[in-house]
Amino acid sequence: MRYLMLVLSTPEDPELRPGDAAGAPPIEGWVEKYYGSGTAVLGDRLRPPADAVGVRVRGGRTLVTDGPFSETKEAVGGFDVIDAPDLDTAITIAGEHPMAHAGAIELRPFWPLGLDDASDGGRA
Amino acid sequence: MTPSAAVEDAFRSEWGRVLGAVVRSTGDLDLAEESAQEAFATALRTWGRDGVPERPGAWLTTTARRHALDVLRRRRVEADKSEAAARRGERVDGPGRAPDAVHDEVERGLDDEAWTPDDPDGDLLRLLFTCCHPALPLDGRVTLTLRSLTGMTTAQVARAFLVPEATMSQRLVRAKRRIRATGIAFRVPPPAQRPERTSSVLAVLYVLFTEGYDAWAEPADDVEGCAERRALAGDAVRLARLVARLLPDEPEARGLLALLLLQHARRGARTGSDGVSRTLAEQDRARWRRDEITEGLSVLDGALAVRRPGPYQVQAAIAALHCRAATAGETDWAEVLALYDVLFEMTPTPVVALNRAVAVAEVHGVEAGLSAVDAVARDPALASYHLLPALRADLLTRAGRPADAVVELRRALDQVDREGDRRLLRSRLAALGGASAPDAG
Repeated sequence: MRYLMLVLSTPEDPELRPGDAAGAPPIEGWVEKYYGSGTAVLGDRLRPPADAVGVRVRGGRTLVTDGPFSETKEAVGGFDVIDAPDLDTAITIAGEHPMAHAGAIELRPFWPLGLDDASDGGRA
Repeated sequence: MTPSAAVEDAFRSEWGRVLGAVVRSTGDLDLAEESAQEAFATALRTWGRDGVPERPGAWLTTTARRHALDVLRRRRVEADKSEAAARRGERVDGPGRAPDAVHDEVERGLDDEAWTPDDPDGDLLRLLFTCCHPALPLDGRVTLTLRSLTGMTTAQVARAFLVPEATMSQRLVRAKRRIRATGIAFRVPPPAQRPERTSSVLAVLYVLFTEGYDAWAEPADDVEGCAERRALAGDAVRLARLVARLLPDEPEARGLLALLLLQHARRGARTGSDGVSRTLAEQDRARWRRDEITEGLSVLDGALAVRRPGPYQVQAAIAALHCRAATAGETDWAEVLALYDVLFEMTPTPVVALNRAVAVAEVHGVEAGLSAVDAVARDPALASYHLLPALRADLLTRAGRPADAVVELRRALDQVDREGDRRLLRSRLAALGGASAPDAG
């Protein structure tokens, strides 16, 4: 089963203590382990929200905005797509990412098109 | 034992294991539930005629597994049919089909010859970790655990939690959908997640117990659904016993079992015949279950011997001190306070601070107790917690300030949502001459 790992920076998380970020493992080891094994299939760093470009089509007109749609302090700084047999494995992988220590990871399970809820059978 | 009593007995003791065995090979909780129900229905029909099998659990598991296999094969045939119909341009509604490889694998796992030997404890443990997964909302965890581990029907769970059956049913559907959508597997968590996941299991059992135990401080005759809620406490004790057995290396699992046993032992003394709840000091200790206390104390000793203390063991040790005192006056308050200090260090919550204040008052006097209460009184988490003003009223009465106590009792009465405690507060108020005698409402 595939998961999108949204790598978030969370500067206003009250539970974040200085020691947490300091104890984060280096990213190189994570990349080597999971991209090396083929568990992670795609991912990269992203330019900051200030460089975001919004695109909407309204009334037939394409509207382009500079900057992000929402002004939240939390920002997506990168992403990885991982292939894991189950959620617990995905949690383990996410927990080893340095930004789980210095920020937060949001795991978003893939929802493949063409499989409706009734027939997904529960098996990954 | 009559056959139907044997089925009932097996239902209580084997439901979780039968369910777990089918989930293990299908990963499908709904199919497993249907199959387990079918197995027990078959038992009701046939055990009278053929006799009760030697190993009822194994018999039920086999019957459920075969039913699951039948259902899967039937679904496959139907899916093939509708696919063929679709090719001819007809539309037939039916369950969609999973890829053949998945079907093959699942069906092989359910087949008699390929069936891995029974692993009832493993199945129960996997089921428990799945139902208590922290990726599920807490109410879903509690509901799913009750439904899956005890076999309570949705209607029974709904009655026990005083919510409409439709609401409870929605909760279950949502929890199961989330298991599928997020890819929660039927497994024991990896080592790195084990401590947090074990805490989640224990927390679910504690929530379950508290829900039931609170009902023991209510007048059973006047509160709707009280008997059903009270039974939850017993269910929680049974599940805690199971978890303590399945996780022998976890002293906190045994700590929780000890805590539940020691509290549950006092259930019969928590209300008087007048339906008024009784504080620990007022309880008739002759009504405490000595046998259960003895068991709780011995479970606690076993846990403490591992020398890895945790909040449940400390709470159990506090409960043990109360249980050991023949009268309230003989309670070793200095030791109780020392343990509350340890507990507050581990879990610095306002409720722990409030309970600690009771011990402070006993050891250092009423004024010190009041200061300890005042230190947490403004915590928003206690804003509508009736036990806060109730405790202040008690301490103020003992400090010779009845007028201030009356104010606190009135505040507590505004906040209280339990009938047993409401009656207790009213009688306190009447004793201080602050109000008319308890009214009929």
